[in-house]
Amino acid sequence: MKHSTIALLIGALFASGAAQAEKTRIEFWTMSMKPRFEAYFQNIEKTYEAQNPNVDIVWTDLPWDVIRAKFTAAVAAGQPPALANLNVQWAYDYAQTGAIVPIDALLGADRGVYMPGALADVTWGGKTYAFPWYNSADVMAVNGALFKKAGLDPKQPIANLSAQLKVAKTIRQKAGVAGLAPRLGRVESIFLGEGLPVLENGKAVFNSPRHVALLREFANAYKAGALLKDNLFAEDNFQVSIAAYNGGRLAMLETTPPAIGRVRDDAKDIYAQTVMLPVPPGATGVVKGGWLMDFVVPRGVDAKLLPEVGKFARFLTNDANQLAFSKDTGGTYPSTRKAALDPYFQQLPADAGPLEQARAIGAKNLTNVRTLAILGIDDPAPLTKRLREETEAAVTGRKDAKAALDAAVAFWNAQLKK
Amino acid sequence: MHLVRKLLLSWAPRYSLLLLVALFTTFPFLWTLSTALGDAGNIYAFPPQLWPEAPTLKHIDEARQTIPLDRFFWNSVLISGATVAGTLVLASLAGYALSVLRFRGQRLVFLAVLATLILPSELNIIVNFITLTMLKLTNTHTGVVLPLLANAFGIFLLKQAFDEIPAEIFDAARIDGASEWQLFWRVALPLAGPALAALAIFTLVATWNAYIWPAVVLQSPDQYPLAVGVLYLSGTFAAKTRVIAAGTGLTILPVLILFLLAQRYFMRGLDGAVK
Amino acid sequence: MPTFKHYPSRHHSWRDDARAWLFLAPALVVLLLFAFWPVGLGALLAFTEVNIFDLTASRWVGLANFQALWDDPTFITSVVNTLLYLLVVPLIQLAALALAVLVNAQLPAMKLFRTAFFVPVVTSVSVVGIMWGWMYNEDGMLNQLLAWLRLIDAPIGWLSDERIALFAVMFVTFWRGLGYYMVLYIAGLQALPQEVEEAAMLDGANRWQRFWRITVPMLRPTLLLCTLLSTLAAMKAFEEVVVMTGGGPIGSTYTLAFYAYDQGFRAFDFSRALAASAVVSLIGFVLAWINFRFFRTEGR
Repeated sequence: MKHSTIALLIGALFASGAAQAEKTRIEFWTMSMKPRFEAYFQNIEKTYEAQNPNVDIVWTDLPWDVIRAKFTAAVAAGQPPALANLNVQWAYDYAQTGAIVPIDALLGADRGVYMPGALADVTWGGKTYAFPWYNSADVMAVNGALFKKAGLDPKQPIANLSAQLKVAKTIRQKAGVAGLAPRLGRVESIFLGEGLPVLENGKAVFNSPRHVALLREFANAYKAGALLKDNLFAEDNFQVSIAAYNGGRLAMLETTPPAIGRVRDDAKDIYAQTVMLPVPPGATGVVKGGWLMDFVVPRGVDAKLLPEVGKFARFLTNDANQLAFSKDTGGTYPSTRKAALDPYFQQLPADAGPLEQARAIGAKNLTNVRTLAILGIDDPAPLTKRLREETEAAVTGRKDAKAALDAAVAFWNAQLKK
Repeated sequence: MHLVRKLLLSWAPRYSLLLLVALFTTFPFLWTLSTALGDAGNIYAFPPQLWPEAPTLKHIDEARQTIPLDRFFWNSVLISGATVAGTLVLASLAGYALSVLRFRGQRLVFLAVLATLILPSELNIIVNFITLTMLKLTNTHTGVVLPLLANAFGIFLLKQAFDEIPAEIFDAARIDGASEWQLFWRVALPLAGPALAALAIFTLVATWNAYIWPAVVLQSPDQYPLAVGVLYLSGTFAAKTRVIAAGTGLTILPVLILFLLAQRYFMRGLDGAVK
Repeated sequence: MPTFKHYPSRHHSWRDDARAWLFLAPALVVLLLFAFWPVGLGALLAFTEVNIFDLTASRWVGLANFQALWDDPTFITSVVNTLLYLLVVPLIQLAALALAVLVNAQLPAMKLFRTAFFVPVVTSVSVVGIMWGWMYNEDGMLNQLLAWLRLIDAPIGWLSDERIALFAVMFVTFWRGLGYYMVLYIAGLQALPQEVEEAAMLDGANRWQRFWRITVPMLRPTLLLCTLLSTLAAMKAFEEVVVMTGGGPIGSTYTLAFYAYDQGFRAFDFSRALAASAVVSLIGFVLAWINFRFFRTEGR
């Protein structure tokens, strides 16, 4: 190709002096951390460089709008950063195409530092592809007044989904409003949360008797009027759910702790009655509402550099730094075991309201928080659409749950075969 | 008095229609400005407040303190300026060759230029980035600008503009012994003024607002243009609607002012008559 | 198809050739390197299983990528949506031409109006996404306006209802493009010789007749240019989709160009992305050809 000659010519013109001194250069990318966390990352850089004088840490923060295009181009051109911050879905996509490499060897003995749920989120085919970083977890806000009206104890944690649906029915009968607003537009996430598989070996498997039974439970609750009907089968019903909760039309709201701030700001009276509880765990103990962020190592990073990269990644995501980061954000959780036990999350001031309690309750539940996304589908849109339609038919009683799930599974498998 | 009434009557429909359309096109922008300058009241209130309650410049200040706005602005000026200048030079030379000159392969070249106008280019990012890597131009403003100069629309627009110039003008100049370069520089370019102005403003708008390509090429945020830089205002856990509005409003304004000023270049002296 | 006007009558020599190529050289070098090379390479790679880390290691698979497209319901949706998107073209052209005629007059404040109409063009697409996101929000401006006018009872999910979202996105394209074509039409109107219109005025033709019988036919080159540009823009529409819906809800706003972009940068499937790009090009050539046929200027 002619490129080489031109490259030589222009390279001679633009070459930028002598190469830097023999320091090991480790560049890491984060997503939309500026401007709020500038001090945090500068401190990380300074501390690490002081401890490791042979290393030069370069922090680059990129707006999330551009990070994928830039990451892809950088890897394709063989100029990747040493570490990049991605979410679980994107990490999975890149892992599938070989754009990022497994980091098991780099984790080494430190594997035990991280929460098992977080590691499971970024482990595919037996290989771990990312260093877990910050996370999120759902909590449940309960309208105490409505509970009392229904003769229920709002402070009593709810054991599981079945019990929760029963509570919802009682609320409907005695207090006259909806109990729960499950996200049935994403029923696949509900399945995963209950420990029921969605895909196995690239095939849809969500029509087992247990899946069917779960859907029937929702259908019964729907028939009893226990579910909030607004946008019940939409992709996202969070906005209407929180509006209904703030309006006293919904007794239980499952959400992330920072969102409780919206109850406080928009509905003072409801906030005063709100009692915070943990979300009922799934059948296998899985906690809903995870949204793990992580650091990946791209393909094409110099192999000699990898031990240093691993060392820095472990530093970046260690207990102390994750705890400091959670304190900085005030709304996220760490993915390391020790950091989650820190008094910061658990010691509440005497006048702590639901918002502060929410953070503590979420933190107690972190071990098994999972990011419940369906991974490994090239083209998820038509599949989720079909499943949504069948779910709606089954839950509203227009179709038997078994027949609905069978139809959806058949559609998925026909699509996935292609 | 009678004349005034008649004028009002004939102008009223036109002006009310124009006002309505102007509201439609500027409304989101006015709202952004009002959000940026206001400090009280609900942003989403209805009817919307186009005049801010308690106007203040503090959100602009905050945007400036949060991100290096001045630096991003100068980067934008540099990148856009170089792209506009380069595009005008390249497109007018090529447009002149395709319109005024005659050479073997002319039809082929023109069709090829036309083809690039048609072909989708979103996926060129990867290959172009690889090319820039080979040219060692990543992380430079030159690297951002060079691919933007591949502007088939500009060549097409200027060829059309040169086509409009009557052939007799060129013939007369040729008889006077003008060189081809003089024909281009002294005859063709001045007569294509409106088209050049239109191309300049369109190129400016496109470059000023481009954000994916500059972000891919440039490694260090110090070199980012405004369109990329303002994205930092909506960082995770830190989005403040009024500050974002201030940043975006500041991005739009310079180009708008330039458009207002540049209009006379593409109007045939009409504005001089009315003031 | 193309017409060349200013041919000097004499025969061209190698010196003429050399001079012309000298004029062309700067533009052609850049075009070759940054337009033809990536597109040509892409067209070739559309027939391979792309290895993005080492393009030379891509494996030839014939038409398999196109077969995969055909089997993908989202791709079919994208084709349908892209064809629907073309509805924007006549609307935007009529509106832009009307605006251009209205503001192309010796009246006060026209400069300000022209600037006002150009505002959406200047606004960067990310800002457009934020602003129209606010407008289209369930409790956003548009729903509040309609509720205030008593036109709706419940808020409309402009971007969340899969039957409406595509049209909501198309409307933003219309909004963004209006000022752009207005400027081109003003330039076209400015270039018209005034004598012709004055003559017609003396003949007693009214304003409407003069516009349709004289102005519009003489504007043909501009009409061609604008229609061609907006057809190609509609066909390649994707920025609005990226910033407003990301293809959702449930895949209902996928356009062809967005599909290609999405396959490349989200699903990381460059084989399919490049094949989709090739389809976009093909449709583009057909549409361009139709445009040229439709507006073919007589007598040239």
